[in-house]
Amino acid sequence: MSPSEPGSRRWTRWRRLTQAGVALFYLALPWVNAAGFREVAGTLASLKVGPVDLTEPVAALAAALAGLTVSWELVLGVAPVAALALLAGPVFCSWVCPWGLISEGVDRLRQRLGPRPWRGSPWVGVRRLRWAALAGVLLAGALLAAPLGALLSAPRLITTLPLEAVWLRVVSPVTGGLLGALLLLELVGPRRLWCRALCPVGALANLLRTPRTLRVAWDPARCACARHPSCFLRCPWGVDPRQAGRYDGCSNCLVCVDGCPSGALRATASPRQRCDESNSGRGGEE
Amino acid sequence: MVGSSRFAWLRALLAPAPLRPPGARPEREFAALCIRCGRCGAVCPYRSLVPAGWAYGPEAGTPMVVARSVPCYLCMECPPVCPSGALDPITDKRAVRMGVAEVNPATCYAHLGILCRTCVDECPLGAAALGQDGQLRPLVREGCVGCGVCEKVCPTPEPAIVVRPATGGVRP
Repeated sequence: MSPSEPGSRRWTRWRRLTQAGVALFYLALPWVNAAGFREVAGTLASLKVGPVDLTEPVAALAAALAGLTVSWELVLGVAPVAALALLAGPVFCSWVCPWGLISEGVDRLRQRLGPRPWRGSPWVGVRRLRWAALAGVLLAGALLAAPLGALLSAPRLITTLPLEAVWLRVVSPVTGGLLGALLLLELVGPRRLWCRALCPVGALANLLRTPRTLRVAWDPARCACARHPSCFLRCPWGVDPRQAGRYDGCSNCLVCVDGCPSGALRATASPRQRCDESNSGRGGEE
Repeated sequence: MVGSSRFAWLRALLAPAPLRPPGARPEREFAALCIRCGRCGAVCPYRSLVPAGWAYGPEAGTPMVVARSVPCYLCMECPPVCPSGALDPITDKRAVRMGVAEVNPATCYAHLGILCRTCVDECPLGAAALGQDGQLRPLVREGCVGCGVCEKVCPTPEPAIVVRPATGGVRP
């Protein structure tokens, strides 16, 4: 893929379009179902598309661990989603998840009211927290014999909200309460803490990748920025694409690519190239 | 199902056992497998399935039937849509095992000598599930699947016939 013009919003425009599309889809779905069309139905935990079930991998994994059983329904439902994720790479959080859209919006609002730019290496700070949160929620679910990973999934909650509101004409205290707590965390907590470190769905989405999935490649020869690169400062995830490793939480929003003033960053799907090797030489990419 | 009953006593203190949708696996398995996707609730034409509240602890958000509010009318739409296997995809309403109805002779009008056969008339499974004894009092039979329609229609202020939720899943 060719480098975009410096300061363009090429990727971001497409991304907002898909994010808004997904959000509107799940907002409209309960009305469509209520009108009698049932061939497409569900939430971001499980979506039925005609005869095909698409099941969210963390929910399925949590259910399998809680029940200590592997049901073929779950395997069949996860297979297409996992295959898609492995093909595209970690794009769910930035391109699909409606909570990601809300979280980005709240973060931008907070930055406008009182800027708190990323400092240091925030992507390193949440590395362990992210794995611990995923392992913790799966382990706790196994001990309690309840799929907590499914219960605490932000994409499930935000797509369940319209379903409950339109269909049951009530918002359950569980869905409403959890979403309220999440919103509070976005409003007063550390910047985008939920998405960057705590969301089990995001943590697993970050793992589902191959050497051929979408990622950001950096060409140090073209890079003109020194200490405070705009890519890092503008990253909604607090990731410096020049130093971050493969599993450091980049979800391919490509804001850095759009904002790079020198064309040193680009989106690529081909396995490691020259620029990556020099990158790993600086201790980033493993 | 290792470790599943560990906190059952705690939940029993906070909330009564929930009445699950038709086709539900045995309670512990159901609670472990249900991913709270809401698809059974979305497909129910009667809006019978509501998400369990916080009192259900880690099972919050799982679907349940509050029979006195809206019972299950055994349309059998929900079991086949479950994507996790928490509901067995049964379509025969007689194979359902949500629970069993129980009559409280102290408050049931028929037991008190007032002519009433509301529950017997409304039972979707008929005399195989809910008949009458020699004195025209409701008699729960083998065929009762626990849909809760009787509990809904009972004219006493507090229902004199209520469903005791099963822990057992599908009838063999």
